[in-house]
Amino acid sequence: MQLRENTESPCGLRYMLDRLELQSGYARRWLLDMPMMRTGEEIARAYATLRLFSDFIARVDAPVLQTLQFRLQGLKDIRTTLRNLENQAVLDDIELFEVKHLAMLAADVAERVQTCGLDRAVAIPDVNEVIAILDPDGLKMASFYVYDSYCQELRDLRSQMRQHPERQEKLLSECAEIEEGVRRDLSKRLHPFAKALAEAQTALAQMDVNFAKALQINQLGLCFPQIARDGITRYEAMFHPQVKETLEGRKQHFQPVSIAFGKRPTLVTGANMGGKTVVLKALALCQYLFQYGFGIPAAQADIALKDEIHFCIGDEQSIEKGLSSFAAEMQHIDAVIKASRKQVQLLALIDEPARTTNPTEGTALVSALVKVLRGDNVSLVMTTHYDIGLTDARCLRVKGFENGAMNYELVEVQDGEVPHEALHIAESLGIDAEWISEAREILIRENPPQLINNKQ
Amino acid sequence: MSFINEILNYDSLSIVGMQKNTGKTVSLNYVLDCLPIDRKRVAVTSIGIDGETTDQVTRTRKPEITLRQGMYFGTSEMHYRQRKIVSELIDVSDEHTSLGRVVTAKALTGGKILLSGPSSASGLKRWMKDMRRLGIDMVIIDGALSRLSLASPAVSQSMILATGAAYSTNMNTLVQQTAFVVELINLGLTGQENLQRLMPIEKGVWYTDSEGALHEIRTVSSLSQEMRFEGMDDCRILYVAGALVDSFLEKVRKNPKLKTVEIVVRDFTKLFVTPQQYRMFVKSGGSIRVLQKSKLIAVTVNPTSPTGYVMDSDRLCGRLSEAIQLPVYDLMKNGACN
Repeated sequence: MQLRENTESPCGLRYMLDRLELQSGYARRWLLDMPMMRTGEEIARAYATLRLFSDFIARVDAPVLQTLQFRLQGLKDIRTTLRNLENQAVLDDIELFEVKHLAMLAADVAERVQTCGLDRAVAIPDVNEVIAILDPDGLKMASFYVYDSYCQELRDLRSQMRQHPERQEKLLSECAEIEEGVRRDLSKRLHPFAKALAEAQTALAQMDVNFAKALQINQLGLCFPQIARDGITRYEAMFHPQVKETLEGRKQHFQPVSIAFGKRPTLVTGANMGGKTVVLKALALCQYLFQYGFGIPAAQADIALKDEIHFCIGDEQSIEKGLSSFAAEMQHIDAVIKASRKQVQLLALIDEPARTTNPTEGTALVSALVKVLRGDNVSLVMTTHYDIGLTDARCLRVKGFENGAMNYELVEVQDGEVPHEALHIAESLGIDAEWISEAREILIRENPPQLINNKQ
Repeated sequence: MSFINEILNYDSLSIVGMQKNTGKTVSLNYVLDCLPIDRKRVAVTSIGIDGETTDQVTRTRKPEITLRQGMYFGTSEMHYRQRKIVSELIDVSDEHTSLGRVVTAKALTGGKILLSGPSSASGLKRWMKDMRRLGIDMVIIDGALSRLSLASPAVSQSMILATGAAYSTNMNTLVQQTAFVVELINLGLTGQENLQRLMPIEKGVWYTDSEGALHEIRTVSSLSQEMRFEGMDDCRILYVAGALVDSFLEKVRKNPKLKTVEIVVRDFTKLFVTPQQYRMFVKSGGSIRVLQKSKLIAVTVNPTSPTGYVMDSDRLCGRLSEAIQLPVYDLMKNGACN
């Protein structure tokens, strides 16, 4: 699955991409076309390279980095031209210019990379021969035309043209024929370098992306993850960069969360406004970032590899399509269940399933879902408000109200019973007192006393 | 002719026509022919498609753009491939037009080309920035039909206005209308303190009170019929970031408290007012000023309309020159460089 298919995931991947300081449009395209990494070797290699870039940034003076980044701004997407070259087409002036421009850029960056000791992280093929072909006068200028030096006859015709402007039209058409011959010859000589040029283009895009990822690690305080081999994903002080930024904009503090999950289904319960959804969002985001080789927003992360990532949250797009919120949600979860039956490793993050239906059936649906998604290949983390009784799931609860403030820390609980803090929280929000006290009276009338006293 | 020397004082020049076939391309060719390119590195481009051998709208013959050896030009990939000169490519930009990307090249011989540069003001600004990076001293922009807005001072520092019989075959109307456009182009800049704080504001309608504090008027747009001026008794300056239209001007004029107000707009291309409304507004004590202005260097005329009607060139030049207090040139008639 290409990165571009996941950019609009509600987990907030777009935010991370928007905060990448990429220098060229081609690098962004290359990154978005990147398939999700699915093997440990791939991921280990990607992070090892990224670490070299990160160390490089820490080591060098700012101007060295800025010069390299400035040079990368010159990277253009010339895949069509390179394909034409590969297919032995005759390139025109504009295409030859593009090839020369790329070759000169690649040679220049390769030399700089060598000088500043980044050559372990970047492998740019040698394309100096291409430059020699397209710069017959050794001018070292990134401009191009069919130079006089390619052909004596052309030189003579052009000099006549300057002396006799009145004959220009006729002379031009004679030149055109010779120029075409030169271009044919140049294209033939350049053909063997098509692959090296394509590799150089990719290497430069990769370099741009790695610089941007390494800078993002510093800017957002991200970490390098470890690959979890035991199937258990563990985060220490995980945060969601976008939510954190929003809170900080309001002078509020984001409380990082530590969590571990994996083989057993994990249920997250807790009061409203307890940050349960944010936990799921952050988990989805971290998993994507990991499998596309970005820094991870946590103090420490050990992440298990997945083949598929499913994040189910109230899907507004389906609602826009005319489905009811319940129908949209059911279809989304249905897709997760179907996927779980294939033999692939699956991360399923489901936010308050069946929240919009009546509590009796909702509870039944949620309990059953935990059973259905119990397979060895599924890592399930689900938030819910329903009391689904005893299952073999691990239950985590947001600590909730403590001394008048929210504590977002997750604690493991044994009974699986959900807290009843809604009225409490509504009160603290200053919601109409008559409504709340009316609700409290109904609760007292209709429920056993231990339920109401819970956490009060 | 003297105005060529004046052009050299600016980094950018746009040539715009009041109408198609008012002799814009003739003016451009004249400038390209006369500029001392041994002293300045000059690059020329156009907004959108131009330089066709026949006019796309009226099917009349149009002069081509003639470059001299050593000039730079920006055009689309397609027109580059059709060039009738020897030239060296120096840049292929990411700017796309309907005819491919915009490429920039240096003419190695003189000759004719088809110009089709960036198709938006922001694209043009980026291209101009690229030109500076490539060491170009001066950029000339060939404007296009009904794209006066791209002559905006936000883009070019100086301009030449082409007018002529294609706009109106009635000499009185032609002189009056041209004089009005010239008057708007020449509107003065607002005070220094307003310039600095209004420049970053790109939308909305705002006013300053007698203490100099800036307030936004809550409204949909300056075009809205719902526009009200309440609680603005001590309004000094009214700033319209978008278009200024007749109905707005009329409302301001009819409000006794705003009669002598100064209206500020970004530049003359944001003015869509008729001479009648403008005159009444000024007569009742109001004034209009701008944040950005470009220097109008000359007005050129083409006395021939595409339908074949020909005006008396000398009389037209004389009357127009008198009305606008600027030199007016018929370059078809007297277009040789000296």
